[in-house]
Amino acid sequence: MYKEQRIWQWISHIVMILLSLAAVLPFILLFVSSITDESTLIRNGYSYFPEKLSLEAYRYLFDHSDTIFRAYGITIIVTVIGTSVGLIITSMVAYAAARRDYPFHRILAFLIFFTLLFNGGLVPTYLLYAQYLQIKNSLLALIVPYLLMNGFNTLLVRNYYLTSVPDELIEAAQVDGAGEFRTFFTIVFPLSVPILATVGLLQAIMYWNDWFNGMIFITNPKLFSLQNVLNTMMTNIEFLATTSTSDAASIIAQVPSTSVRMAIAVIAVVPIFIAYPFFQKYFVKGITLGAVKG
Amino acid sequence: MKRFAKIAIVLLSLVLVLAACGGGSSNSGGSTSNTGGGSSNTGQSGGSSGGSSGNNQQLTELEVVLFADGTTVKDLALVQDAVNEYIKDLVNMKVNFTMISPGDYVQKTNLLLSGNEKLDLMIVSPFFGYHNQVARGQLQPLDDLIEQYGPDIKRVLGDDFLGASKVNGKIYGIVPMKDMAAGTGLVMRKDLVDKYNIDISSIKSLWDITPILKVIKDNEPDVTPIVPSSNAPLLYHDKWYDDLGDGLGVLPYYDNDMKVVNLYETPEYAERLKLMREWYNAGYISKDAATTKEVHLDLVKAGKAFSYFSPTKVGLHLQESNSTGREMVVAEYRTPSSTTSTVISFMWAVPLNAKTPEKSIEFLNLLYKDKHLINLLSWGIEGTHYMKVADNIIKYPDGLNGGNHPYNVTTRWQFGDTFQAYTLEGTDPEINVKMDQFNKSAAKSKALGFSFDNSAVKTEVAAVTNVIDQYRSALEAGMLDPEEKLPEFISKLKDAGIDKIIEEKQRQLDEWSKLN
Repeated sequence: MYKEQRIWQWISHIVMILLSLAAVLPFILLFVSSITDESTLIRNGYSYFPEKLSLEAYRYLFDHSDTIFRAYGITIIVTVIGTSVGLIITSMVAYAAARRDYPFHRILAFLIFFTLLFNGGLVPTYLLYAQYLQIKNSLLALIVPYLLMNGFNTLLVRNYYLTSVPDELIEAAQVDGAGEFRTFFTIVFPLSVPILATVGLLQAIMYWNDWFNGMIFITNPKLFSLQNVLNTMMTNIEFLATTSTSDAASIIAQVPSTSVRMAIAVIAVVPIFIAYPFFQKYFVKGITLGAVKG
Repeated sequence: MKRFAKIAIVLLSLVLVLAACGGGSSNSGGSTSNTGGGSSNTGQSGGSSGGSSGNNQQLTELEVVLFADGTTVKDLALVQDAVNEYIKDLVNMKVNFTMISPGDYVQKTNLLLSGNEKLDLMIVSPFFGYHNQVARGQLQPLDDLIEQYGPDIKRVLGDDFLGASKVNGKIYGIVPMKDMAAGTGLVMRKDLVDKYNIDISSIKSLWDITPILKVIKDNEPDVTPIVPSSNAPLLYHDKWYDDLGDGLGVLPYYDNDMKVVNLYETPEYAERLKLMREWYNAGYISKDAATTKEVHLDLVKAGKAFSYFSPTKVGLHLQESNSTGREMVVAEYRTPSSTTSTVISFMWAVPLNAKTPEKSIEFLNLLYKDKHLINLLSWGIEGTHYMKVADNIIKYPDGLNGGNHPYNVTTRWQFGDTFQAYTLEGTDPEINVKMDQFNKSAAKSKALGFSFDNSAVKTEVAAVTNVIDQYRSALEAGMLDPEEKLPEFISKLKDAGIDKIIEEKQRQLDEWSKLN
């Protein structure tokens, strides 16, 4: 019995170690490539133990700080505003959809669910935002479309309210004379911190990694987010690699080197790395929320 | 009653949310309008530069899309202001430039075109689906407009180059005056050429290259003698034929009495494959040449490769030296020729959404006439972005170079009559004259101006392209034995329907030559 358990432990540990390595090693390779000398990188390919190290890539980033760090700032602003506004809207809509005494709560929940299955498609979406709401080339274009309120997240929060916030609690608050807003903000909101942290993290990552909105709605390079800058570099290089005309080749005077691209990826990843451990405990809680409770 | 109140609250909050959104967007519209971001008419007239309001006549506003990597061009707004100041009295217009980088170009311009956005002038290209755009009716025919408003466009380009973009007899694109032809050349590292005393003038054909590769192979074990360029098949640039747009059905030697043939069935192609096989067996081509994703420029930069093929133009060795960071020399073994593909690589077009197409052409005409405007767009503002050294020669101000220059538009070839542009000190001062001669001396393909409309044979084109992707790179890199695999390749092409494509192309070409 005891022996069997130990073998089981060994196996599971080995599997978990392999899985963790599979997750961590690419990041280490990414970082090492960013501090590898450019010509070594081309000659020997990516390697964990490069022949020659160089901080040239990071010097390039500092030389171009007006582009890179501006984009960094845009990303941070968009992520912070988007996540906080998104969380407030998401939780409030979800709360309304979860209140059984709200007459349209089923219709509301269905409408939210509906957006998961159907959407307007790219061109109509573009038309709506670019021409009717006129948010093209503004920070709003990076915040509002696709990302601000996500049907899946909303349903997640709604389910949490349905299962983990008892109606009796809300009733009790209202008996004590709390209005709707007070009930929500002082009773329900604090109770839902685990799910909000989970959803907030998901949302923050989505904002952080988003380049699609930027590609569609932003033509002014001053408003490019970090992922946009990176994406533009990559697509330009791809274009160069697949289009054989000397006129097109002149588009990029100096293609940023491989190590520079790696360095940008590194500085883009770092904040997410830092944020993760703080959210971890809520994240675990959030995942196990569906489990039956006494 | 209570229920009614609740509904009222919901409605009220909806209204509030919408109002908040509206307020937010108009604010941000105002803050970005000076950079040419605003997309609507009301946004622009509300927020943008009030300086010109004193003008007695209404300025026509033009939205112009440039093909350039905007992330590196910081002073676009400055130059735009200077342009507007300059053309205000000349043509009574105001232009807003938007730069779109090549990687995003297709997606962004597609949205602009299908989104019915105001757009008056843009760069189009067969790479970006020019022929599809024409077929979908997204571009305006320009013949009458050029006749009326573009006298200088006509004068500079001449009928051959102007007519090269014709689709169904109508002009939809106007090419900038740049290099209109291309030969084929071998680009080599100068240090090794000098070291082994290679006589580059001895290279007159593909076959003359063999001894040079041998020298490199024997003496430089770490260097691959030749690598394919831009992930294309090795012989992609070896165009001894007019590819008639897509290379499916070609015109050998740019004439062939206008008879379209299958490139892969020609004896010339078989001979070349045999040579490539020899090169491969001798180790001149790396074993993974057909599959590698590494860019040839990087390989040369790192000292791993010696040479690659390239289409030639004036000043190519400077451009390649710049891209690889090493001094390069070019041996042009096939003299340049003009085909529809080389001429219409990039063009100006007027989208259907343009409300004042005559103004678009009027502005474009300036780009073929006005030296000051051409140089303003190509190099920026004198004193800020460049200094004059001599009449037509300029240099960057102290402390600025190509890398940190705030207005370094590398795609200067798009600004109209580029032969009027200044040249940078240190580059060939005679480049414009030479380019002109280059264009004039180039042999013109008999089918120059013919564009193939493949809509009737779409399925065949897709199938044939698949077969080509499967075989061509490997065959031309010598990996497959042509004795055995070339017949297989040809029979698969036939199964995929290449003959039908050639037949259709021949029919269109016959029709076209009757008209011209």
